[in-house]
Amino acid sequence: MRVTRPTPPLDVLIVEDEALIALDLSLLVEDQGHRVVAEADSLDAVTQVVGTIAPNLVFLDLHLAKGQSGFDVCRLVQAAWKDSTIVFLTANPDLVPAHCCGAHGVISKPFTRSGISEALRYLEQGICRPPPHGDAPECLAKTDNFKNQW
Amino acid sequence: MPMVVTNPDLEDNPIVFCNEAFQRLCGYERSEIIGRNCRFLQGPETDQNSVRRIRAAIEGGRDIELDILNYRKDGSTFWNALYLSPVRNAAGDIKFFFASQLDVTARIEAQILIARQKEEIEREVEARTAALRAALDTKTLLLHEVDHRVKNNLTLIGSILRLQARRITDPVIASQLSSMLERLDALSAVHRQLYESSDLAVFDAGALAETLASGIVGTCGRNDIAIVRDVSSVPVPSSTAAPLGLILNEVITNAVKHGFANGRGGTLKVNAKSDGSSGMIAITDDGAGFGTEPPSGGLGSVLIERLVRQIGGRASWESGHPGSRVTIVFPVHESD
Repeated sequence: MRVTRPTPPLDVLIVEDEALIALDLSLLVEDQGHRVVAEADSLDAVTQVVGTIAPNLVFLDLHLAKGQSGFDVCRLVQAAWKDSTIVFLTANPDLVPAHCCGAHGVISKPFTRSGISEALRYLEQGICRPPPHGDAPECLAKTDNFKNQW
Repeated sequence: MPMVVTNPDLEDNPIVFCNEAFQRLCGYERSEIIGRNCRFLQGPETDQNSVRRIRAAIEGGRDIELDILNYRKDGSTFWNALYLSPVRNAAGDIKFFFASQLDVTARIEAQILIARQKEEIEREVEARTAALRAALDTKTLLLHEVDHRVKNNLTLIGSILRLQARRITDPVIASQLSSMLERLDALSAVHRQLYESSDLAVFDAGALAETLASGIVGTCGRNDIAIVRDVSSVPVPSSTAAPLGLILNEVITNAVKHGFANGRGGTLKVNAKSDGSSGMIAITDDGAGFGTEPPSGGLGSVLIERLVRQIGGRASWESGHPGSRVTIVFPVHESD
């Protein structure tokens, strides 16, 4: 079976409730030549963009606005865009289980500009031309799903 | 000592002899005692298992020693240290049973009291342990929450600085802001490692040096700098982690930015080891070197000088041909 893989630039969804962190992330993503198709601060906000976008990559915080959880968003993302790659971006990496609810990786906060750039380059390879070459950047912890799929 | 003799050849093994001490102990007259089976001393609180053991000893013709709760004529109770043994004739047949009694109420009650107190204390200890465990859980939870907030704030500060950096056109200010971001990155690396560490009191400075070296080289996007590691674990008190992170950041950044300036690539060596009382981290580059004097005047050298003093360590600078080597020596965490 021939699989159609996305080509760069990637469409990226950013789920983060801190407005300035979301802006910073969006600009870092655009610095790498990708497109931010939406920013969302909660499960509700993600629900609203289902059907209007098709992100290849989702950066996902755990603690969201209105007390909503990134794990719920993770489930919604997988239901809405089954081919999208999910990376948790959290200050609480311990809370993410090893199977990671279907996500491909975890980036610990605080992140750095270089960490995000390297992770994006690596993830782009995984999404567009798997498997990604070389070692994953230090900041990106791979999940079981990552190892199985790529 | 109170004593009785029973005759097993008669119906129901009745008492055929008792002394005065026995009468005083149980409060019955001799006439009320003779002819009765010993079980008339038992009452509702008497342990049936003890009764069964006595019966088995009599049936088996063995002697037995046990404490049993008995009742006086007036209904009051006493603990009886009973000793019972068969008396045989020359042919070895059991002719009588001999039983002596001793009122050990005081001893048994003391034992019961002690057992009850022990139980109570154990219950209290258990309750206290549960309370302490709950308090510890709460503390751990709070610590995690504080830790989470610290990291969220560090992330936010980083985002704000990066957003500001995008608006700055003056290259000098931009480079200074970029140095600030690098220092923040170093502190962030420290906090990530603190959070991942299982022991809150001890921090591995060797692991931090490795993380910072690859982070800083990565940040500069320098593929022409190879990192060589010779690093073992260097345990330091957690309070040393942040200052040490800032020191190492300055030293490594210096090597990358000045040693490997103007497109000059090379090798960055990270050494870390501990001899149990002091730790050593050395950053060596084979870049341009700094001549005879270490770089001075900038905020970087002020940071290094003050922070090295703060952690009770010392820094030495050597210029090689080529390159330079900076060695930081500092006290390690004393293990027990």
